[in-house]
Amino acid sequence: MPADAQAAATASSTPGNSPAQTSGVIHNIGYRRYDAARLGRAAIVRALIWQSLRSAFGIGRGAKAKIFPALLFGLMCLPAAVNAVALATTPGGGGSIVSYDGYIPSLRTVVMLIFVAIEAPNLVSADLRNHTLPLYFARPIRRLDYPVAKLVAFVLACLLMVEIPLILLWVGIASQEHGARGVWEQTLRLGPGLLYGAAWAVLLASIGLLLASTTGKRVFAMCAIGIPLFFSYILAHVLTQIGAQAFGPAGFGQPSALSSLAGLISPFTLLGGLLRWAQGNPAIGPAYHPLQPTTIGSYGPVYGVVFVVLTVAAIAGLIARYRKVGVA
Amino acid sequence: MTKCYGTTVTALDQLTITVAPGITGLIGANGSGKSTLIKILLGLLEPTSGTAAVLGHDCVTDGFAIRTLTGYMPEHDCLPPDVTATELVTHFGRMSGLPATAARERAADSLRHVALYEERYRQIGTYSTGMKQRVKLAQALVGDPRLLLLDEPTNGLDPAGRTAMLELIARIGTEFGISVLVASHLLGEIEQICDQLVAIDAGRLLRADTISSVTQASAALLVEVDEGVDLLAAELVKRGLAPAPFQRGLLLQLAGDETYDIVRDSVADLGLPLSRMEQRRHRIEELFRADPELADEPRAEAPGSQTIGVPSAS
Repeated sequence: MPADAQAAATASSTPGNSPAQTSGVIHNIGYRRYDAARLGRAAIVRALIWQSLRSAFGIGRGAKAKIFPALLFGLMCLPAAVNAVALATTPGGGGSIVSYDGYIPSLRTVVMLIFVAIEAPNLVSADLRNHTLPLYFARPIRRLDYPVAKLVAFVLACLLMVEIPLILLWVGIASQEHGARGVWEQTLRLGPGLLYGAAWAVLLASIGLLLASTTGKRVFAMCAIGIPLFFSYILAHVLTQIGAQAFGPAGFGQPSALSSLAGLISPFTLLGGLLRWAQGNPAIGPAYHPLQPTTIGSYGPVYGVVFVVLTVAAIAGLIARYRKVGVA
Repeated sequence: MTKCYGTTVTALDQLTITVAPGITGLIGANGSGKSTLIKILLGLLEPTSGTAAVLGHDCVTDGFAIRTLTGYMPEHDCLPPDVTATELVTHFGRMSGLPATAARERAADSLRHVALYEERYRQIGTYSTGMKQRVKLAQALVGDPRLLLLDEPTNGLDPAGRTAMLELIARIGTEFGISVLVASHLLGEIEQICDQLVAIDAGRLLRADTISSVTQASAALLVEVDEGVDLLAAELVKRGLAPAPFQRGLLLQLAGDETYDIVRDSVADLGLPLSRMEQRRHRIEELFRADPELADEPRAEAPGSQTIGVPSAS
């Protein structure tokens, strides 16, 4: 606020003119114009992204909103911490027990399922429930800037949830390496892990926001996210087992089509299959976990295609949802 | 600065209005198309046909520029309960294109203007209806708009709150130098603060005029005497007026100062105890009745008045 504008405003204000005022009466103070430069649309969208990202971790929302994000983040970092301690206290070094690419798939599945189910509704459902959207649409942004900003913010939030533990894991491992070569080797292994983590963030964030944007009620939105994600995961696992037992277990010869394709049902097993495909489809690899269908047979490319299609479809659905959403 | 709109849409039937700067009252019954008009002006809805322009910007193609220059206060509840007023208004200041520091300063200013300065760190969920209404106004004001579009700003307010809100809107229009369009269904309420009035019904324009000419045409005088109402009525008829019995008194068409003079002289000549002489405000329905050829027209379009829902994705 320029000084002269302030002076002018003070001159034009007439305090004391009004009769004795009680609390709640509108006070007479001078109006100050805003003459400085305004930010453009890109900066406004950035501000919305930043606000949404903070809000996904409960920052600016009171103490209660921080509990779950903090708890989940702590849980997600636990394997990295345990791994670092184990490496540091094992003389001679027995090698890392946690891998960069898979991390701990079951833990990551559970943590991300809860994180998305809690925070995606917080990002979009609240504005639907409170009818706050017209306030956004009445501002100098375009209508689709809102869902895009929310999506970017939530992808970033999921990235932080997935990638920071990986970086901590890398710090723990690299600090035990001797020499720059060892550290470099670890860094090279971290890269694909981060990339795979990004696949998690993008897919889960877009599915989560799409499902959350269907309803304004937080509890319904949580169910709309949690129930399909959880049960599709269970179903994928069950079908894999059925496929394996009915048509011969995986790992002995070529696995059955049912076993191989069941993983497509759930985003989590889809991501598992994606990793398996990227790793060159080992029968049992470092990412192996009893809960994670690890059989994709020769259908690896299908997992890649479904991943892309599902992500694009979820984003398109989110955009379509906000193209249609009422202004009142 | 000029703002002019000429809208032709099915909800707003062949509506053509031009409005000068200042405080404009947009009056009409519920469902008459007030909110629709405001949303078209904001570029949120697209008119089926016709054009509209605000502050020289076309609403369809240049809604973006309009939204930089306007503040919008929706009719309905639109506030999240779990944030404080400061946070909300600051956030929407940023959404209006203010840098972070300016947004904080202007949020504090806006909340002071609407008299929520002391309560600004409380969560909005704990606010009364009147306070929420003022937060809605503050978030419209925070971006320093050139034009405020207020949709039913006095909704849900008690009489004191209404008066305070109207005083504030009047100050925004005069002292702050911001043009205001106030939608309301209560003529008596907004005629106190408006420079000009636009009355619409079922999407049709009833009247668009300066406030003085509108109220002059529709103003009435209520005269009450403790006794001798019939005598007074007869006397007034003799003097060329047309008194109508109303409650315990007589209602007269107010033609100007001479009406007061006639009443005064009549009462004095008859020696009646005059207990009340009051200028009455006609309600919106009476304003409609003043224009018989319009009021008599069939209102077949009315149910369709909310049907244009083509969102502007510009």
